[in-house]
Amino acid sequence: MAYKIGLVLDEERLKLIKGTELEKEIKDLFGGTLKMIEVEVTEEQAKILMQLFPRVRIDARGFVEETPVAFRKALYRSLINHRSKKDALEAILKDDKLLNEIKEMASKEDEYIPPP
Amino acid sequence: MNGMKLIINNPPPYGGKLVNNIDKKEQELKGSPVYDIKPEIDRKSGAPIRNVYREIMSICYGFFSPLDRFMTKEDVDSVLKYRRLPDGYIFPFPIIFDADKEKIKSMQLKEGDRLYLRLKGKPFAYIDVDEMWDFDPADLAVKTFGTPEKNSDALKKPLDEKHPGFSIYRNMSGFAIAGKVFIINEPKFKDPYSRFWYPPERSREEFLRRKWRTVIAHQTRNVPHTGHEHLMKEAAFMGDVEPCRGILVNAIVGAKRIGDFVDEAILEGHEAVNKYGYIKPERHMVSFTLWDMRYGAPLESLLHGIIRQNMGCTHHMFGRDHAAAGDYFDPYSTQELWINGLPSYGFDAPPYDVEKGLEIRPVNMQEFFYCPRCNEITYSETCGHSEAQRFSGSFVRGLIAEGVKPPSVIFRPEVYSAIVKWWRVFGYPFVNKKYLMQKEDELEVEVG
Ligand SMILES: [Zn+2]
Repeated sequence: MAYKIGLVLDEERLKLIKGTELEKEIKDLFGGTLKMIEVEVTEEQAKILMQLFPRVRIDARGFVEETPVAFRKALYRSLINHRSKKDALEAILKDDKLLNEIKEMASKEDEYIPPP
Repeated sequence: MNGMKLIINNPPPYGGKLVNNIDKKEQELKGSPVYDIKPEIDRKSGAPIRNVYREIMSICYGFFSPLDRFMTKEDVDSVLKYRRLPDGYIFPFPIIFDADKEKIKSMQLKEGDRLYLRLKGKPFAYIDVDEMWDFDPADLAVKTFGTPEKNSDALKKPLDEKHPGFSIYRNMSGFAIAGKVFIINEPKFKDPYSRFWYPPERSREEFLRRKWRTVIAHQTRNVPHTGHEHLMKEAAFMGDVEPCRGILVNAIVGAKRIGDFVDEAILEGHEAVNKYGYIKPERHMVSFTLWDMRYGAPLESLLHGIIRQNMGCTHHMFGRDHAAAGDYFDPYSTQELWINGLPSYGFDAPPYDVEKGLEIRPVNMQEFFYCPRCNEITYSETCGHSEAQRFSGSFVRGLIAEGVKPPSVIFRPEVYSAIVKWWRVFGYPFVNKKYLMQKEDELEVEVG
């Protein structure tokens, strides 16, 4: 079964996607009050993510949830670089150095997230 | 006329009378043996997973009526075999005061003695010791929940130490002190808990004052999103000749798991729903029960039925996957219990249709989501479109962690503000290790 990661797009993120081939992938959620891009995740990739980040789980909708914020930021950057959802996720999961950095940042996320 | 009565009223406490084990005369320890209550620790992770003070509070203030004691071996055997106390009243879980056997031995405590309990170093309660008995925690943990072989109508796979309820029984000391327990020094709840403390006697008075003849209970351990809000509003339409007069939110406050919302935000988040009129305060109130959740799905739902009947509720909402953790239980096993019964746990009929059963009525609900065609939050069993946009608790947590304010159609801004308020206090929007340790160290109360 294939899963998904929903990447939320705030205004900053939307700016860099507008005008690229990814723009047509943007989904409106909840009557347009939230924009999102859904990145497909294979069963294999979902397993890797769960091993990397113990809190990751798959919810009833088939979404891979509770990935660290650092991971989602990296996925967004990779999306902008690769302009392809498939390549963006594959590139991160191949990059051990980047994954270690994400893990390092994620461990700090367990202690402190600045309030808005 | 067939004599069917349409109008229903707040049921009596379960077993007929509310337990009130508060002994105001006995405030000194009088040189008797004294034992300090300590949190139960998970041997593997080192994390606190339970504090027996919460069970003492819930017994003594009548939430668990008719249970008025820590269980004897006979009580536990009966609970494990029939999910009933020896006198026939339903009770789903062993309630055990497990102690350090060496310490108790060194006190030369005997059956018939009074054992005084200190909490945070202060006199708190006593047990009149009826029995001291040994048990095997591993065996108890399995028998408490059952196995997929014996309980195939509810369990999909065997429980293990990743299951928080299993882990509570598994990590017990193996030495139990049984007998009636009394509080001698009523603890004071800290802010914000004090505002939401409605032990059954008080909740019943409050229902009477509000003229809430019919009240539906909402179990929670979450900050509410609009799916919860709609669930409460729609489920309340089940009443008698009119929708329920009142909605009682009853949060389970106890040991937390990493990633949960903090209890303070859960209570104030629910309060924001009525404070800002999403459900008018005349119809909605927030309360809590102290209990370290066993996540026993249908078994937990029996305890929820007992607690909320004792509080005076006429109805109880049960959703898919009620009070579950992980995928051990069939997600519909709770609803099945309340429709047809679960024979493997001793219920050939639902809990309101058996001898010495509960009087609280179930309202089994499915799911709420946003439908772009209806252009509103809608109910899975009535919306005929197929473009459901679901928002689970974990989805909302993801948005919050990323610093995105959830849109008001799925999350009320004032409820979000309650999260941000406690986020500023704890430096974190959810339970992390620091919160967990601090909470179990300081507890929800001040004593003496
Ligand atoms: Zn619809």
